[in-house]
Amino acid sequence: MNQKKGRSKFIFLCVAPAFILFAIFMIIPTINVFRMSVYKWSGFSASKEFVGFDNFRILFEDMVFIKSFQNTVLLLVVVTIITMSLALLFAAIMSREQVKGKDLYRVVFYIPNILSVVIIAAIFSAIYDAKDGLLNGFLGMLRLDFLQNMWLGDQRIVIYSVAAAMIWQSVGYYMVMYMASMSSIPESFYEASALEGTGKVRQFFSITLPLIWQNLRNTLTFFIISSINLSFTLIKAMTGGGPDGSTEVFLNYMYKQAYTNSSYGYGMAIGSIVFLFSFGLSLAVSRITKRETLQY
Amino acid sequence: MLNKRIGAAVLTAMMLTVSACGSNGASSTTEDGKPVLKMAALEGGYGKEIYSEVIAEFEKQQDVKVELTISKSIEDEITPNMKAGKYPDVVVLGQGRSSGLTETLIKDKGLEDLTGVLAAKVPGEEVTVQDKLVDGLIGTLGTNPYGNESTYLMPMFYSPTGLVYNKGLFEQKGWEVPTTWDEMFALGETAKQEGIALFTYPTAGYLDSFFFALLADVGGQEFYDKVMNYEQDIWQSAEATQVLEITTKLLSYSSDTTVAYANEQDFTKNQQSILDNTTLFMPNGTWIAGEMGDAPKAEGFAWGLMPIPTLNEGDDRYIVTSMESVWVPSESKNKELAKEFVAFLYSDKAAAIFAKSNAVQPIKGIAEQLTGENQSFYSVYDAPQVKALVGGFVSTKPVEGVNIKAVLFDTANSIISKQKTAEDWQKDLNQASEKMRAAKE
Repeated sequence: MNQKKGRSKFIFLCVAPAFILFAIFMIIPTINVFRMSVYKWSGFSASKEFVGFDNFRILFEDMVFIKSFQNTVLLLVVVTIITMSLALLFAAIMSREQVKGKDLYRVVFYIPNILSVVIIAAIFSAIYDAKDGLLNGFLGMLRLDFLQNMWLGDQRIVIYSVAAAMIWQSVGYYMVMYMASMSSIPESFYEASALEGTGKVRQFFSITLPLIWQNLRNTLTFFIISSINLSFTLIKAMTGGGPDGSTEVFLNYMYKQAYTNSSYGYGMAIGSIVFLFSFGLSLAVSRITKRETLQY
Repeated sequence: MLNKRIGAAVLTAMMLTVSACGSNGASSTTEDGKPVLKMAALEGGYGKEIYSEVIAEFEKQQDVKVELTISKSIEDEITPNMKAGKYPDVVVLGQGRSSGLTETLIKDKGLEDLTGVLAAKVPGEEVTVQDKLVDGLIGTLGTNPYGNESTYLMPMFYSPTGLVYNKGLFEQKGWEVPTTWDEMFALGETAKQEGIALFTYPTAGYLDSFFFALLADVGGQEFYDKVMNYEQDIWQSAEATQVLEITTKLLSYSSDTTVAYANEQDFTKNQQSILDNTTLFMPNGTWIAGEMGDAPKAEGFAWGLMPIPTLNEGDDRYIVTSMESVWVPSESKNKELAKEFVAFLYSDKAAAIFAKSNAVQPIKGIAEQLTGENQSFYSVYDAPQVKALVGGFVSTKPVEGVNIKAVLFDTANSIISKQKTAEDWQKDLNQASEKMRAAKE
């Protein structure tokens, strides 16, 4: 009995620091975000005015917020689909095919992930430069002048320019993750299917994909959350939400409202929506992608 | 732009600093009976020494002791003492800071009326302060915050913003610097023949100096004040329509890379196009010479700054001017001495010390004391019909989701890329202005 008590105490003491930190830095701030979202507060003055759900009411009439929401969703859809497809494709090629210099490619693909967002923004500003940028220069060299564009100036395509930078940044990371789980699939499965005359594409969809499904599910949730954050940092460094709001995403808009428009409460209302949105989206993705776990 | 960055820095500093109480300043005389004047100043880009030197000069002239508190976040240093009733006697601090200390004191009627200082003689000289000051600053909302005849904030340092261009290029080509919009657009056509664009901006935010001046040029100071005060349907007026029409036309002459570079990452490339002679004009301020100091420049490059063109020859030309002010709290214990010190700040001796560090006061003929680019920049006030324009949108309670400056400036990007028309712009501005008016007390 005494020993059991001591054991519980020990476990409690071990868990306490992590729990306290989690509570201070995660739980309490999250509760605060929701609490502050029902106040009108400049962020400075001592007086906070309780306004109920007024901030949310304004929010749904605010065209800039709606635009920023649309942009975020667009980025999430485009970037997720392309990044996941590319990462899976590259991972399958690298782990199943005999590619020369495989290890080198793996490192090269992974490098963007360890670069700071500011550096990525600088790299892409050089690539997209309207006059002597890499992309326009390359298109000019191929005599494809009609494809040359103001990649960061044309409001119809600037959001896709940002998306391309995000994809470039994250493909390598997910490729490495998928390679890891693909390499653990027993070779015998592929041999057996080859004997029955299955092609590479069929092997990918019938063997590889189902067997790494659990990994894919986890990374998908993880990816959605990190994309919401990445889109904010990248846009802050690259376009600032411009030109004229065409790359505004909701975290950037939240920042602008809370810190430069003296509408802290309103910013927190946006924060609440972002929290609920990402929570809901992750839940939905997790539900939709639920499959029976295959053992091997 | 710059203000925002400074604001952000101050904000961070304020969050991090746990203000410690400063000196005990209840007494206003030293031990040997000399009166003590307490001065607080914001440490700007000019350094601390200028104030020490000026104070030394004042102490030579008068039997006083001046205690100086100077800091980049001066509000944090003096507010705790002020709350405890210990006020500084003279404060150098402008409006538009994120802490809003000056604005708070204006709202609380906590400033001493300095109208008398204007008529007072500058200590050690035979002229009055009024005689020395540049025209057009006193009487604006920047100095007379209640919109009446009383001056509460004396203009301390000022710097002009306008259209920056390469003087050298105009000399080489034999072009005249345009003074009216007709001449400006004619020049635009001429320049186009030579593959030079008429206009660009670093980012749309830099259009503040352009827009405020244009509003005053077209509709006069009175119209400008109405716009800044969000008067009902002011953006639907004929003047506002004309302002937006001129701007839309000017934007159609902008360089084709303007929007692509108009972001935090690339804005210097737009600035560089002036140095490369591929664009003629951009709105900017005196800091540009330092900012682009090391950048490669076209042969014969020389910095020039001009007020924006006007509708008709001989109309008033407004120069948007940023201003730091000096004021005396009404709780000061040494008001008379403080006023004398304020007057002294405009003396030739003080002005020479300030000018040495490029802290330029609004004193007539100051341009002669300046050197290099600054001489060229500040001589803009010497041109005929030029008036300084101070201020900006009147501050209101924050309005969620509405930033009228963003609507006014950022839309320029959409106008250039033809995503929006001047009518859309006008409609959005009117809507934003109405919302701001509703929040004004």
